[in-house]
Amino acid sequence: VSTSEQAETSAAIGQATTRTRTAPRPKLPSLQGNWWRHAVGIVGVVVALFPVAFTLSSAFNRDNTLQGASLTPTHFTLNNFGNVLHNNVHLNGGGKQPAPYVHWIVNSMVVAGATALLTTLLGAFAAYAFSRFRFKGRRFGMMGLLLIQMFPQFGAIAAIYLLVLNIGDIFGPLGLNSLLAVIVVYLGGAMGVQAWLMKGFFDTIPQELDESARVDGATAAQIFWGVVLPLAAPVLVVVALISFVFTLNEYVIASALLQTNDHFTLPVGMKGFINDQYGQLWGPFAAGSLMAMIPVTALFLFLQRWIVSGLTAGSVKG
Amino acid sequence: MSATTAPSAPTTPAPFRPGLIARAIAAVSGTPGLVIKLTLLGVSNALAVWAAYVLIDRKHWISLVVLLAATAIIDYVYLAGGIKTLPAKFMVPGTIFLIAFQLVPIIYTIEVAFSNYSTGHVIGKAEAIKAIEINSLEPPPNGRQFEMAPARDSGGHLVLILHDDTSGAVYVGTAKGLQPLAKSDVALAETGQPTSAKGYTLIKGAELFTLDAQLKALTVPTTGSAAIQAQGVSQAVELQPTLRYDAQRNAFIRIEDGAVFKDNNQGSFVSANGKEELEPGWKTYTGLHNFGKLVNDPLYRTPFIKVFIWTFVYATLTVLLSFAVGLFLAITLDKKGLAFQRGYRSILVIPYAMPGFLSLLIWAGLLNDSFGVVNRTILSHFGFTVPWLFDANWAKVSVLLVSVWLTTPYFFLVSLGALQSIPAELTEAARVDGGGAWAIFRRVTLPLLLVAVGPLLIASFAFNFNNFNNIYLLTGGGPYTDASSIAGSTDILISYTYKLAIATGKGNDYGLASALAIIIFFIVATISGISFYRSKALENVT
Repeated sequence: VSTSEQAETSAAIGQATTRTRTAPRPKLPSLQGNWWRHAVGIVGVVVALFPVAFTLSSAFNRDNTLQGASLTPTHFTLNNFGNVLHNNVHLNGGGKQPAPYVHWIVNSMVVAGATALLTTLLGAFAAYAFSRFRFKGRRFGMMGLLLIQMFPQFGAIAAIYLLVLNIGDIFGPLGLNSLLAVIVVYLGGAMGVQAWLMKGFFDTIPQELDESARVDGATAAQIFWGVVLPLAAPVLVVVALISFVFTLNEYVIASALLQTNDHFTLPVGMKGFINDQYGQLWGPFAAGSLMAMIPVTALFLFLQRWIVSGLTAGSVKG
Repeated sequence: MSATTAPSAPTTPAPFRPGLIARAIAAVSGTPGLVIKLTLLGVSNALAVWAAYVLIDRKHWISLVVLLAATAIIDYVYLAGGIKTLPAKFMVPGTIFLIAFQLVPIIYTIEVAFSNYSTGHVIGKAEAIKAIEINSLEPPPNGRQFEMAPARDSGGHLVLILHDDTSGAVYVGTAKGLQPLAKSDVALAETGQPTSAKGYTLIKGAELFTLDAQLKALTVPTTGSAAIQAQGVSQAVELQPTLRYDAQRNAFIRIEDGAVFKDNNQGSFVSANGKEELEPGWKTYTGLHNFGKLVNDPLYRTPFIKVFIWTFVYATLTVLLSFAVGLFLAITLDKKGLAFQRGYRSILVIPYAMPGFLSLLIWAGLLNDSFGVVNRTILSHFGFTVPWLFDANWAKVSVLLVSVWLTTPYFFLVSLGALQSIPAELTEAARVDGGGAWAIFRRVTLPLLLVAVGPLLIASFAFNFNNFNNIYLLTGGGPYTDASSIAGSTDILISYTYKLAIATGKGNDYGLASALAIIIFFIVATISGISFYRSKALENVT
């Protein structure tokens, strides 16, 4: 906390500060104990874990239906996991359409992974330009980026659909029902909030480092790859992870562009999974959810500290 | 990239020792870097040439010009040296995707917002007139029916060999008219189907099924305005239009009674009393009509106002409740030396760390009215159940509860961080001054906290304002209180927009959906603008 800020806050609470400064710190009365803090904590933990516990129990429960599910499994089984992993679950009762869960997972990982990687890269490019160069249209560009982000992309979903339809007419791999198309549509947002976040971080990297590298004969590209990017590693991880989680959760665009079962991403597939036979496929759904949520949750918790600092800097995850 | 040469190295005592990453980067810059760059440029140019070839083939001239211009700009930016194109080198890759997949859809959406583009108003006016004419065809009072066989004449033109069921006469029908054939020249099957005709080759087998479009286009004029048309590949009927288009009056006239259907300038021909509308209509610009509909037409105004109010209530309550609970948890657990502190912290964050779409689908199962665990296992013990997703008001409560469950950990983390950054001296000082716990919180902690958390509250509000998943994956926007409305009782603006555009059984209203998207944009932009103004984030720009 800088001195000026301290001065401001002291002013805000009047003489109190000055008194602590001069008088010796008095002993505070000890608290009655922490039992109520633990009570609140335990209630919080129970509420936070309630759906997780229920999913866990349903996944290992022999009765597959939602109706038969309970908070503790009645008969332990691993069948749900086996069935889901071997695409042995069938949608639509009579139609017997298999639910290719493994495809969904792979699709989601490919889409979210590629989007996260490229979003970070493209965003970092733009952030570097905004942070280090003074060029015509810079201010306009940054404001424009912000404004564009405020337009609800779902509102333009019909336009995106028609666009991809027409592109597919000319260049098949970028058409409907293609993961590549979904990725490039997501990349449309690469210069959005995340680029701002990175720009803010790049601004804190001293320009003197660039200067010294330039004096040593480094080109702008070399400074970017060799100086700025390695120093910005924490923010890159945050941006990549936020983008990964955000993409993983994205439902609307994926559901509009992907058409066949084996091309679905996890949200689109899992929604269909429980849609028509809600109660009947609950066990396999829980098993599938569990397998999908554990790695993502673990990754998130592992990188928690970095993410929180990134989020506080002005971005919100879904 | 740019060809700056190293100045002659000054003799420095301590040599610069770059780190591992920097050395790895250095290894791929220089010649390898140039190779990578040229390869990527080569690939992009090859793709462009190929796309240009397809576009020329299809005569998409405007797209071709855009493609060539874009390729030229990319090549110029990356091949021309110098300081001028340096920023562009870093801006171009992201900008391409931004323009293609955000800017273009937005511009298109704005265009659509001022049109009547919707189910029944998809095609152009000329096509619509043709379609109305075709739709109006009906068999005349003593219209004839024929057994038919498509055939080719000596010149290879498509003709119809026709056999009139009732009179037994046989004809050949061409675009010019109907000519009788000698009965002896035509062989008929027992079903009455022509099987051969002298001087004509009957089309048989697989080729028949490729004729669909050509058969539809072939009309054989008979008496007056009536004409014979093929129905499938083995039947034909005589039809007569019941409507006539008068190009000079820009109106359709019903032949039977002379009723006039005028162009209403909204993309439809309607009768004088406005009650009858000819289908299909056409796509046309209707100015502010879509926006006007939301204000003036009760059919749209009522659901719009309901959804509008609920969106604000939903976003506000989600943020405030989540912040309140998160802050309470943070204050409670932010105590030095509290046992299990880290454990609490890690577990309380889990709802936020889990993939949101899964949490929402799981909650939908938990809250299921008859099968869900909340009703079946927990509440039934207390002798009652709650129609969580079935009742309009309870569904709103459910959506709020689940949203708060999802959002609270965020504010818990943020508040925890902010609390720890408040110097302990301040609260201690206040305590020494005799302030009670509540007064200290109100007067010292909260104001300081809000400085840090305030902008995040607004950002979270803007995010939840458009939180499609939370609504759509939990309730689908439902339940529906009135069967005729597209808006369910938990729909927020963005899910309502989505339903209007795509997911309804009641046709797609792209025009109205786009108008709503623009309204949402202005609301979010205003909120964000206020936030930026207040937090002075704009200082970063300059």
